[in-house]
Amino acid sequence: MSTETSSAVALTESQARALFEKEFVPHMDAMYNFALRLTNDEDDAHDLVQDTCMRAFRFIGSFEPGTYAKAWLFRILKNNFINDYRKKSRGPSKVEFEWVEQSFAGDDDPEPAFQADLQAETVNEMLGDEITSAIQALPVDFRMIIILCDLEEFSYEEMAKILNIPIGTVRSRLHRARTFLKETLATYAAKKGYKTDMLSA
Amino acid sequence: MKTNCSHQPECMKLIQRILDKEATAEEEARFLANKDQCLPCNEGHKLEVALRKALKSTCTSTCPTSLLDSIRSKISSIVLLILLLIPLFCWFI
Repeated sequence: MSTETSSAVALTESQARALFEKEFVPHMDAMYNFALRLTNDEDDAHDLVQDTCMRAFRFIGSFEPGTYAKAWLFRILKNNFINDYRKKSRGPSKVEFEWVEQSFAGDDDPEPAFQADLQAETVNEMLGDEITSAIQALPVDFRMIIILCDLEEFSYEEMAKILNIPIGTVRSRLHRARTFLKETLATYAAKKGYKTDMLSA
Repeated sequence: MKTNCSHQPECMKLIQRILDKEATAEEEARFLANKDQCLPCNEGHKLEVALRKALKSTCTSTCPTSLLDSIRSKISSIVLLILLLIPLFCWFI
């Protein structure tokens, strides 16, 4: 018997299925959305979520009912993405992000020298496609942390566990990711002729 | 109202922590008490709120039913495999 199935054996068939339905199924929309934003491809997102669920099910015996299944599943999904998907599709983005991360490493480093020239009214006027394109244009690690925080509303502590980074890095990466996103949106806004002359610092 | 904020980078970080529910109650109360006296902080707060709202309304998608069905089917296959393997394993030893 494979060691991968051993955890599932620890539970009876009906227990494992019930646990899956109760703890995992409620998070499927969020997992699929996360996978889709990471891979930018419906087929890859499909495979990534399926692989994640199968991996989670194999280790379902080690899951403690009552703990936060969503964070556990997202961590498995993120690891799966980095190990199996990012390698084949996201090489250039990784290099780009590493440069960004090194340039601004640490909590005490100076902030980026720019403040995006963008205002709330401009964001409200923007089309959904423009927002989605700006998110997809972010380096994958920036995209990842913005989705975890702003869409899924994980706490900094949960994000630190999911991403396996210190909480100080979560804070600084999140801030830089948002600065980057605002700069991207400001560039779109300027190109499309939206008003961008209010907020600047 | 102030039209210039001398510590805007720190204020923007605080605004984000408040919206992320990671700031203390004191920090949040202090910011909200002063927000309306500072134009850049007020605009910054509105911008952060607008961004979160825009992301939530545009970057969400639903898991296809076919994917969920496919996962359930694979899980059933694994369970069936385990149920078959256990007696076989016991029979061999």
